[in-house]
Parts: sequence; C-alpha cells; structure tokens
Amino acid sequence: MRLENITVTLRPRQPWEAVDLGCAMVRRDYGRIILLWVCTVLPLWVLVCVLLRSAPVWIPLVVWWLKPLYDRVPLFFLSRAAFGERPGFAETLKQWPRLWLKNCLPALFWRRLSFIRSFALPAQMLEGLSGGAANRRIKTLAMDGGGSGLSLSYVFSKIELAAWIGLMAGTYDLLPEASQPDWSGLSSALDVENSVPRGFLWWGAACYMFIVTLIEPFYVGAGFALYLNCRTRIEGWDVEMAFRRMAARLTSGAAAMVIALLAFVGAGTSVQAQMDINPDLRRSLSELEGNIQKAQKDSAVKSDPAKAVEEVLKDPEFEIHKIKSKLWVPEFKSNKKSSHDMPSLGFLDLIGKGLFWVLVVGLTGWLVVYLVRNRHLFASRSVSKAPVRAPKVLMGMNITRESLPDDIVAAARAAWAAGDVKEALSLLYRGSLSWLVNRRRVPISDSDTEEDCLMQVIQAGERPEADYFRQLTGAWVQVAYAVLPVSDAEMGALCDQWPFIEKGGAA
Amino acid sequence: MAAARADTLQSVELADGVEIQLRVAGVAVRSMAYMIDLLIRIAIDIGMSILMFWLLSGVLGPQVTMGLFLLFIFIMEWFYNVIFEVGAKGATPGQRIFKLRVMSLTGGPVTLAQAVMRNFLRVVDFMPFFYLTGIVCMLFTKRFQRLGDLVANTVVTYVELPHVVTAQTQIQAERRAPSQVLTREEQAALLQFIERAPLWADERRLELASLAHPLTNAPGTEGLRRLCGMALWLQDPEERRPMPPPLKGAATPRS
Repeated sequence: MRLENITVTLRPRQPWEAVDLGCAMVRRDYGRIILLWVCTVLPLWVLVCVLLRSAPVWIPLVVWWLKPLYDRVPLFFLSRAAFGERPGFAETLKQWPRLWLKNCLPALFWRRLSFIRSFALPAQMLEGLSGGAANRRIKTLAMDGGGSGLSLSYVFSKIELAAWIGLMAGTYDLLPEASQPDWSGLSSALDVENSVPRGFLWWGAACYMFIVTLIEPFYVGAGFALYLNCRTRIEGWDVEMAFRRMAARLTSGAAAMVIALLAFVGAGTSVQAQMDINPDLRRSLSELEGNIQKAQKDSAVKSDPAKAVEEVLKDPEFEIHKIKSKLWVPEFKSNKKSSHDMPSLGFLDLIGKGLFWVLVVGLTGWLVVYLVRNRHLFASRSVSKAPVRAPKVLMGMNITRESLPDDIVAAARAAWAAGDVKEALSLLYRGSLSWLVNRRRVPISDSDTEEDCLMQVIQAGERPEADYFRQLTGAWVQVAYAVLPVSDAEMGALCDQWPFIEKGGAA
Repeated sequence: MAAARADTLQSVELADGVEIQLRVAGVAVRSMAYMIDLLIRIAIDIGMSILMFWLLSGVLGPQVTMGLFLLFIFIMEWFYNVIFEVGAKGATPGQRIFKLRVMSLTGGPVTLAQAVMRNFLRVVDFMPFFYLTGIVCMLFTKRFQRLGDLVANTVVTYVELPHVVTAQTQIQAERRAPSQVLTREEQAALLQFIERAPLWADERRLELASLAHPLTNAPGTEGLRRLCGMALWLQDPEERRPMPPPLKGAATPRS
C-alpha cells in the first residue's frame, strides 16, 4: 500500500460524508465491479436456485443470508483501486477462492447479524485480523462506538427494502395473470406456500437479486470509505501525504541547487583534488552527473513547444465547460378554415374603431376645455416672476399720480397757510410715496405700514431721499396719530428740501 | 493520470469563471432526512385530523370537515418541502437535523420556482414506488441529484459548520518561522498537524514529523518540536506582546 498513489481525496470528514465518498468510489468503477459481481455471485445464486427449486419462497432469505460472501470481491477491488493499482479481471478471479474462504464461517454464522458488517469487513479482510484481535481493532477504529457503521447498515437495508418493493410494484402488471396472487384470499389463508402462485415467488426472488446487485456494492463501498475515514482521522493520512509531497518538493529543490553549485565550480581544481581524496564524494558526483544528463535528455524531449502547449492544455483547468440546451418552439399554423365557419364579425371591428376615435376626440376636447378654464393656475405662477406691481393705495391713502396736484409743494404750502396742518403733511407724504413707488420702484406692498415703508426706502439706497423720507415720516406720524403740532420751521424745511423733483424741471 | 480522484466536494464553474466547491450530500443521509420529515408530516396529519374532527365536525358537519381535512393533507403533501426550502434556513426540519440544506447549483439559496419544481417532480422520482427512480438517480449522478434536482438545477449540501477545535493541549515549542517557503497546501497540512496531533499516538506524531525532515532538519523529538513551532508560527506569526505605553508628547496616530 502506497499512500502517494491514492486515488481518493482524503480529509477528515463527517461520517455521512464518508458514506457519500464510498458511493462516489463505487460509481467511478461500477462497470468493473458489476462484471466481477456477475462472475462470482451469479454462479452461487444459480446453485441456490437449483437447490431450492421446490421452495422458491426461501430463496430471498438465503440470498440475503449469504451477503457477507458477495461483499469480499468488490471490497478487494475497491481497496486496490483506491491505492492506484486497479487489479485486472484475471488477477481478481485468482484471488476469489481465497477471499471467500477467509474467515467465512464466522462471517456466515455468528457474525452474520453484526450491525456494523460493512464497516468491520475491511478490518477483517484487509488487515487480516480475526477473533478478538479484530474486535479490539474495530473498537479502536470506531471512535463513535460504531454508531456511524450502524446507521449505515440501517440506511442501506432501508434503501434496499424500498427499492425491492418499488421494483416489484413497478413490474407487477407485467406478470402473467396466473402468477398474480389473489390478494383477497391471501389475508384469510396464511399458508403462503400454497396460496401464492410459484411464479410470483420466483419473480420476487429475481427482483430481490437484481436489487441486491444494484445496492450492495454501494453498501460495501460506503463501509470501506467509513473505514478509510476513521484511519484518516486516527492516523492523519492526509497530513502524511501532504508531508510526503512537501519532502519530495523540498529535497528535489535542494538537489537541483547542489547540481547547480557543482556545475558552477566543477571546473575548479580544488573540487577535483577533493574528489581524488574522497571516494564518497566522487561517487555522489558521478551520480549527480548522470542525473544531469538524464534531466537534459528529459528537457530536450519536453523542449518541443507544441507538445508542451498540448500537455498544458490537457490540464483540467483548461477544459471548456459547455451547457447545450434545445429550445422547443411549437409550430403555430394559422388555421383559417375554422374562421370561415364563424359568422362574419367585421362590423364589430368598425364599431370598435369608431368608438376609439370618438373617445380620442372627446378626451382631447375635454382636456382643452379644462386647460382653458384653469388657466389662472398657470398664469398665477408666471406673475410671481414679474416685477412687483406698484400699489395704488397705501394705509388708506390714494397715492396715484393722478390723485395728487401737479405741484405738490405749492399745494402743501397753501394748505399750511390755510392752517390745515394734516392736509399739508398728507400731501407731502403721499407725494413722496407716489414718487418712490412709481419712479424709484421701491418694493413697497399695499399691506406695509409707515415703519415698513421707511425700512424699504432706507434699504433701497439713495441717501438724501431716505433722510428726507425719515424726517417726513416722523412729522407725518406725529401729526396724524399723536396729533402734536409741527413747527413752522420744520414745515418750511420739509417743503424747501423736497427732493422728489425730476431733474431739469419742476414736477 | 489514471482517473480523477474520487471526492465528495464537487466544483461548479460559475458563469464568470469562478469555481466554487459544494459539499454535496448523498442518498444515505438524504433518505434519513426524508424519513424524519415523513414522520413529522404523519404526526401533523394525525394531530390535525383529531383536532378538526373534534372541534369542527360539530359546527360544519362531518362531510365538510372531511373535505377541509383532505385539503389540508393536500397542502401538506405538496407544499411542506417547498415552504421550508424557500425559507431562511433552506431546509426542512429533517434536513436541519442532519445539517443539510438545499442549494441552487450556483451556491445560492433556491428560488421559489426551483423549490416548486424539485418538489413537484417528487412524483416522478417516486415512481414506480418508494422512490426507486430517485434512489437510482442519486446513486449514479456525480452530484447525487435526483430527477427533480436535475431539472431544477439544485443540490442538497452539508451546511458548513463552525470550526471546532476538538482537543486543546499546551504545546511546548518555540514559535519559529518555517525554514523554507511553503505552498498553501503545505501550510494547510502543518496547521492540520498541530490541530489534530492531540488525537494521535506519540509514535505516530514522531513518524509524521520525521517525514517532514527536509523542513525541520532535525530528527526525532527535536524535529517534532520544530515542526510544532513552525505550525504555531503559521497560526499566528506575530507574537502577541503587550503594547508598550505611548511616549509622552508623541503624536497620537489618527484612528
């Protein structure tokens, strides 16, 4: 057994995963295993059938009882195949008698009902143990107390039973009617031998043999994989393999370095001299030379680039995976014949088209009417962007140009002279506001108070006008709200400093 | 190379050239999970029948109750798996007991369409009886898929379990860097060695350590000690020392 040649990926697995590994191993070599099975097991079954031809009801039981014998040849093949030496057909057949005879009595009698049969088999067959030694070995291997081996046996017996019943149910209708048992009578009579037709019994036995052939190799493989997994866990086989590969890599690297070193200084006489003295070194050096020549030969073979490319492309990494799928498109044929049978419904098409256009026109008209009616919604939005419209009335006073006299200052003086203080100041105030709003475009809105107006005027700039307007506002508020007198001098100043005159002419 | 190595890991190449590996689960463990689910379903059906005939038959009459019960059984039979497989765990209760889950072949969770497809095709897998078709199909496909899986592009995989260290022992070895540059596989082997060494016999440990002689350059126990030291270094190359207190006035590094 050489671990380096192993053809199974080892790593510590969960027990169920190990069972799956066994199934994968068997599937890989299923053809050869079945061939061996047919050659070794079938003769035995023929013998059993001949011996029990008068009582076929017992055949399945005997076939089941002899199972430990069948397991051995597949196990032999699998164990060799796992370590890279797939045995030939003749070689295996040569081993056949030895395999079946070894430990066969305990296997067929007191070990037959062992629940960990397939897990224990490798320990008995491959390690050549028997009796108590085998028991101890199995106990050591089964770290979980054989629980996984037990569940393995349980699962596979269940699968076997299910498959057997499935196969029988599937092929039942193919039986000739004479062989089909009368199920209604069966329940009353427990005498199976006489009430069930012999054809049915033979057929049941044949189904069982078929199913055993199908399932049993997987059971053996699963047990073997469980065994491998246990040894991998206990003995670290995967680690051993990795270490061996590492050692091989490191030593080959070291050897290459030595070769290079020797080739470099090979011409040097000191080595030559040492060689004469040391026969050991000479021997190793000549060995190395041989190696170098061999390596050169190898590299010469490999130096053909086309071959090298071919070799590289053979690697699984360069395999191109393709998924082909067929798309089935059903052929639709326009079946005009059937439409002729129908009454002509062309007028429906006309009515539909008419309705459609009526609907389109109606909808368009409604949309236009709606837009026109609600145009203020769109208009109001555009107003906000237009310049602020100058107010016509502020604080209850009309400030339009038309409502004021042409010469405001003269009219104010006249009112002052007549003793109407409020009228005089009101004229001045209205006139100034009118000027500021209409000419200077000061953003005064119609809800502003005197204070607000003043603020707006100050913010609008025009220093002298703002100063004047402040004085005027003060006087106006004093007169209008506090009803306090304004002096003649103040009034005179207000009239004299009147700034709201168009340049170049009297307003 | 004679044949590809048999393995339970199945690599799947995705459309963008990425290769992922799936731990596919085979017929044995899946049949166990199925049995558990079957028992759960039967238990629920029996419980529901008792409950319905006890509570409802007085109100609705026995025939309507029977009809409702049959409807319930129909839903259980056809949608039990679908509902659980589309759920967050991607597994039925039976599958969760065995640490399995249903996956799309691309490694993602199954979509509703996939779950429906793979479970409705149970009818085909069940034929001729007791899942004979499904069993044969699972035994002979590379990824242990039954027909429903093949059609819906799904696999049943083992759930990745959190890494558990089985045994912890004090290792008296000085941490040291490996004397040579190691490949990833070799590093992994060293880590496996130090992790599983407590499970092995002393002789076996020495034997394995002697195989790594080109790396350790020392025989016997000394080699084992050096090997353990290298493995420790791989586990944690930086020796954890308490951080020295920062110097006064030194600029504190921005976090």
